[in-house]
Amino acid sequence: MQLTDSPKLFTTMWAIGTILFILVAGYILASVAKFVIRQQGGSRTLQEKTFLGYFFASPWILGFFIFVLGPSLMSLYWSFTNYRISEPIVWVGLKNYSDLMQDNRFITSMFNSLYMTVIGVPLQLAAGLGMAMLLNQKIRGQTAFRAIFYMPVLLASSTAVLFTWRLMLNPNNGVINTIFRWFNETPLYYLNASFIFLTELTSALLVALQIRNFTIVERILSNGFPGPERVPLWLGSEGLAFLWNKPSVVVIMMWSAGAMMIIYLAALSGVPQSLYEAAEVDGAGPWKRFRHITLPMIAPATFYNLIIGMIATLQIFEPAVTLVRDGGQNQSLYFAAYYLWRATFRFNQIGYGAAMSWVLLIIVLMMTFVQFKLSNRWVYYESE
Amino acid sequence: MTAVNNEQIIPVTTRSVRRRALNRTGRQRVIHTVSYLLAIGLSAVLVFPLFWMVSTSFKTMSEANAPKPVWIPAAPQLDAYAQIWANPDWLLYISNTVFVTIVAVGGTLISVTAVAYAFGRLQWPGRNFIFYLMLGTLMLPVQTTLVPQYVLFNWMGWIDTFNPITIPGFFAGGAAMIFLLRQFLMSIPRELDEAALIDGANQWQIFWYIILPLMKPAMVTVGLFILVGTWNSLQFPLIYLQSKGLHTLPIAILNLINPQATTQPWPLIMATSLIAVLPLIVIFMFAQRYFTESIVLTGSKG
Repeated sequence: MQLTDSPKLFTTMWAIGTILFILVAGYILASVAKFVIRQQGGSRTLQEKTFLGYFFASPWILGFFIFVLGPSLMSLYWSFTNYRISEPIVWVGLKNYSDLMQDNRFITSMFNSLYMTVIGVPLQLAAGLGMAMLLNQKIRGQTAFRAIFYMPVLLASSTAVLFTWRLMLNPNNGVINTIFRWFNETPLYYLNASFIFLTELTSALLVALQIRNFTIVERILSNGFPGPERVPLWLGSEGLAFLWNKPSVVVIMMWSAGAMMIIYLAALSGVPQSLYEAAEVDGAGPWKRFRHITLPMIAPATFYNLIIGMIATLQIFEPAVTLVRDGGQNQSLYFAAYYLWRATFRFNQIGYGAAMSWVLLIIVLMMTFVQFKLSNRWVYYESE
Repeated sequence: MTAVNNEQIIPVTTRSVRRRALNRTGRQRVIHTVSYLLAIGLSAVLVFPLFWMVSTSFKTMSEANAPKPVWIPAAPQLDAYAQIWANPDWLLYISNTVFVTIVAVGGTLISVTAVAYAFGRLQWPGRNFIFYLMLGTLMLPVQTTLVPQYVLFNWMGWIDTFNPITIPGFFAGGAAMIFLLRQFLMSIPRELDEAALIDGANQWQIFWYIILPLMKPAMVTVGLFILVGTWNSLQFPLIYLQSKGLHTLPIAILNLINPQATTQPWPLIMATSLIAVLPLIVIFMFAQRYFTESIVLTGSKG
């Protein structure tokens, strides 16, 4: 029974201690800042303002040194060593980095993120925009609908809800494939079959690109158009299921597109109604109005959603643990966050994990930089 | 911006304008109805996983693993819930999760609010530099500091305690939360502070009596985000909470799956899942009216 009470007491004591530490350290930090300003001959009001500002901001400043800057510098050092906690540290130079470039699992996780960026994020954007446009019609009960559309965002990372998806996306007896089988008996079968064909082809193309071997694409093409007995393989673990694991995650991403919807709703409400009226008088149809007014006017929101969505694809973790067994068939759900966790904490390779986190950081910075460069071409800001 | 050309508006006669306006109201009513129906249909699709969770939790094992899915159990079973009730471990998991969430939300919310106040309301030398530094950390994936933080916590003897999951939040964890609160603070008119200053209030009183009460909607929103993040958190607990007595609900549910078996105890898994998800939904229903407004603000001014 002692385990039930003492850990909570332990953490409560630490919490109180931490608050006291922040107050004291913040007071010292703010006093030092005030002292510096006084030495520079700042006025009494300026000294007072400096003290207040640094005191209020001190939790973040202290946290930045303790939990971000310090650890980052340490990890930079460890990334050049073979640190494994229990053993002495040995300097290995760039070995971790060169190993990483040849590590098939790491490369797979990068390609998986690429798939999510190219296929998943745009589909999620489209879902978010669709929901936002629907709610922008000022329909009755808008607030209730907005809450319902947003709710999946809160649930999408929950183990509980991901298990529900695992149950529903079971290729054999899952409820979603049951619905697919209903439609397979109607003329809508062609829709199903095209969806299956397209999904397998795009997934296979990416796998082929990664292993530089196109037999899998040829196999899908030679199989031809799927017959009425075929259903999506979603979270299966046999046959071609590895082509379906990522599309399953995309489905869950689209289900939880509510966060993007909120951003789009704000952007849509900022588009002046007069633009639409003028265009309508000019005889522009709904598609033209969408294409030439709505899309350009909400481009900043799209840009914001895109950056956030892309960075999020590197951090997909829960699905790899909950939806499939050990990252899925052929590492189909290995993402950077999952592989990093696996290498570092299940196999204790601290040095290797540190190198991976630095490569990750560089990739995120590069992605963001490229996006900012590209955005000049298509993002329109009102203030410009 | 190519589609707009105002010159063509002029020759339209008043009569055709009126007819067009009439057509528009008729057409708009159709669009309105169709949108309404679409919204209802979409809501049903989005809520479906929750329905499936509830339905499965009342099934028998054979119904839950049947080759053809059973939509609604023939005779609702309470076995799964009885099993949870009979096992005191679940009470411990729930209390662990609640404890971790309360500590993390409390500490993070207080510190984040203070820091946002410094960035959004106070003038001090170095403010902009530190603010942009903070925005820069938004780009930093959590994973980059995961490894060195583990070593730090290991050195401090924090492994297998709740500390790594709760204490870092006290240092204003979450740059995005600070940013959201700061955006909200910027929208509160500055005249309020000035009027209070003239009336003889000091900065502490302004913060406590004027700004803090006005920040309620944004604080509810940020509190909800932190709450959901901590409640659902799986990666950190998997790393730091090793003994069973410390497990939170997400780990406990994860452990119900037996990777070797072909059939899983789905009714039990779904019943525990419902217990894990229900508090989030209830809290969201209370918080949602504050919530969308404050996010919209961040989006439009971000």
